[in-house]
Amino acid sequence: MPGAGFFAGLANATVNASTVLILAGLGELISERAGVLNLGVEGMMLVGALTGFITTVITGNYWLGLGVAILAGGAMSLIHAFLCISLNSDQAVSGIMLTLLGTGLTTFFGNSYSGNSVSGFPERTLPIVGDLLVEIPILGPALFQSTVTDYAALLLVPVVWLFLYRTNIGLELISVGEDPETADTMGVDVFKMRYLAVIIGGALAGAAGAHLSLAFNQIWSASMTAGRGWIAVALVIFARWRPERILLGAYLFGLFNALQLYSQALDFSLGAGTPLAGVLNPVIDFVMNPTIMSTYPYLATLLVLVITVIRAENRELAQPSALVQSYSRETD
Amino acid sequence: MSEDAFVRLADITKTFPGVVANDEISMSIRKGEIHGLLGENGAGKSTLMKILYGLYSSDGGDVWIDGERAAIESPQDAIDAGIGMVHQHFKLIPRLSVAKNVVLGMREPASAFRADGDDDGFVSSLTTNRLVQGLAARFTLGLDVPEARIQSLADDYGFDIDVTAPVWQLDVGERQRVEILKALYRDVDLLILDEPTAVLTPTEAERLFETLRKLSDQGLSIIIITHKLKEVKSITDRVTVLRDGSRIDTVETADVSRADLARMMVGRDVLFQIDKDEVTAGEPVLKALDLRTDDDRGIEALSGVDLTVHAGEIVGIAGVSGNGQIELAESLVGIRPVTDGTIRIDGGDLTGAPPRAFIEHGVSFVPEDRHKHGCAESLSVMHNAILKGYTDEAFGDGLRLDYDASADYAETLVENFDVRGVSDVAKMQAGELSGGNLQKLILAREMDRDPKLLVANQPTRGVDVGAIEYIREGLIEQRDQGTGILLLSENLDEIFDLSDRILVMYEGEFVYEVTPEAADRRRIGLEMNGGEAGGAEPQVAVDGGRSES
Repeated sequence: MPGAGFFAGLANATVNASTVLILAGLGELISERAGVLNLGVEGMMLVGALTGFITTVITGNYWLGLGVAILAGGAMSLIHAFLCISLNSDQAVSGIMLTLLGTGLTTFFGNSYSGNSVSGFPERTLPIVGDLLVEIPILGPALFQSTVTDYAALLLVPVVWLFLYRTNIGLELISVGEDPETADTMGVDVFKMRYLAVIIGGALAGAAGAHLSLAFNQIWSASMTAGRGWIAVALVIFARWRPERILLGAYLFGLFNALQLYSQALDFSLGAGTPLAGVLNPVIDFVMNPTIMSTYPYLATLLVLVITVIRAENRELAQPSALVQSYSRETD
Repeated sequence: MSEDAFVRLADITKTFPGVVANDEISMSIRKGEIHGLLGENGAGKSTLMKILYGLYSSDGGDVWIDGERAAIESPQDAIDAGIGMVHQHFKLIPRLSVAKNVVLGMREPASAFRADGDDDGFVSSLTTNRLVQGLAARFTLGLDVPEARIQSLADDYGFDIDVTAPVWQLDVGERQRVEILKALYRDVDLLILDEPTAVLTPTEAERLFETLRKLSDQGLSIIIITHKLKEVKSITDRVTVLRDGSRIDTVETADVSRADLARMMVGRDVLFQIDKDEVTAGEPVLKALDLRTDDDRGIEALSGVDLTVHAGEIVGIAGVSGNGQIELAESLVGIRPVTDGTIRIDGGDLTGAPPRAFIEHGVSFVPEDRHKHGCAESLSVMHNAILKGYTDEAFGDGLRLDYDASADYAETLVENFDVRGVSDVAKMQAGELSGGNLQKLILAREMDRDPKLLVANQPTRGVDVGAIEYIREGLIEQRDQGTGILLLSENLDEIFDLSDRILVMYEGEFVYEVTPEAADRRRIGLEMNGGEAGGAEPQVAVDGGRSES
């Protein structure tokens, strides 16, 4: 059986893999709560990752890199906002187009940086209590020996929760995602709110990308997001549009991700003498196969969808009622 | 204009593509009056009020409030000017609490930042700072003070509402009270209600009227949009009548009769009584024997019904809704499978046959829910006109549709059946038609086929008086041409006026049969309620009694 060191490593990899999902997932959640589906997260993350990386390579300042990545993600989401909110285009089409665009452009412009490494955000302990917290077995190093972006992502979960449920802007943002016409008759500026939500979403996607290239990997390679943008979209559904569940889902999906790397060290196959070993071992091999494991986040999301439908918890599912619905006043 | 006019609309004009919805309409509302805005469906009432509330922008004309010109370009402007509106389809977000629905858009800050606290000391000077106030309005949300105020408003008007409950838990009447609370919370001086009784039971409607009287006693001006004459007479002080986008007149309610109002509304005398000739019934077109079927929940809704309809007669089915009428109608046109019994149409056994077979055997159907089952709302008027006849070679060769022929046909229907508000049959969506006009279009499609049997379920519900008269005359005419008609209606007047035979339905069975001449209304009312003593005669009204939801 693997020892404590193995679990500490697994916990660390889980937490590391989850930060990018928390950042991108919270951004997607804010956008969807206002009624705008953003399938361009993957593209926005890549643009954030590359612009942040290049900025850091040129200036040597990873803070500046992060700032540029946030701006780049926000700017790219502005295209999505303009198409979907001002022109009432199809949200799914616009989002997918932006993902393809982001992938293509970053592959092209990032070509000369491919494989370069950079010195990005270092891992730090928290001031004063940090040294103590790191001593906690297994979870200590995972949670409290991290980069600033890891801490920021954790902090953002309650911040987004408070923003959505305890501020007027949050109430108005939720209302435009539930029923834009009603929000409009109550004097809420639907367009402003939706623009705001989409831009925050894009900025967080950019930050997630910067975390990948400046903290998590500290290297640039084409398509380095490797589908994490899509997992973030699934994560929002898995979390049923609630920020606190984003954290839970991100850790679960992060664990799936970490297991892909660590499963090689595990051997769950049954000994030759065990009954049914001949039948079960191929099954176990299949289930623990890293490629198959990479589909688990999507399977889990499907499972959540199925379970909520079976339990008739449609009200609980809490998908914003006006998700992907465009709004303009005169047509009613 | 009256001197004490509080709100005045001057020459308001609004055109939609091909239709003038409001043609230079002027009206004034006095302080503290209840003002009725009366008109048929599509007369321009809602459009006018949406302009006043800033939801539509007018193409011409001004709004004057307290003698000053008011520029109302958005609902926020209207709210700022003291105007509130209760829409026909409630503007509530079911997932949010009552209080959150009420304060939405008001930006109520957390109580520490409220401006109405003590006005001295350092903390106060900090919290009353404009920047701090601005931030607090955006990034805090205080519900305790608003909740207390909403609750006290609710208590003042006898609304029994838990302000912290999510709106989805409330019933329709309670939701409407939340809508009124929304307006009261904003201290409005003018409250507009768009067909407020359409979704209410008679008791709830009476309760609403009591509230409105109380509000007007306190100086609130109220505009109530309606097409129900009875309501206008019972609640309003003055009434403005619109017809085809123009104002006909504004009168003191006490000075006019219901017949006067109906004439102003429709533009001619309205026949509340319809003459019909005697016609001898012919061969049976429908013979149903021992029919049984289940409702959507799988519970038996028809318990062995025998029914015969002859050519050239109208058989009226009276009954309180939910006693199997929908299931009877649906099984007779083949869209609800029967569990037992037989259906013979014009001599042929169609038990268990698909709906298409019923259509081909000359069965027409006017369903109860015209929006959901009577038409394809997002398809054009043309597509809806040929919805049953599209396989006919007049409209195509079996592979392609002949759009020109279809459009010509749709235009003929629109013209012959007086469907109003259609500019282009190929472009206008059926769902954009007003209730009465959509119903006329559906009847046109169903009757133009010269059916053997027409099953009409609540054909005039929620339709205005002019259209009701038109539809009833159309049914009589169809009968005279030899169609057998099965009329299901909750409106006893309608059953009495149109039917040659009356059957009373109760709990999935026919319990009583009579001719209108021999019928005693009290007896029928009794039978509809299961024959028990004290079963009052159901509510009847000239306008169909109920409105569409």
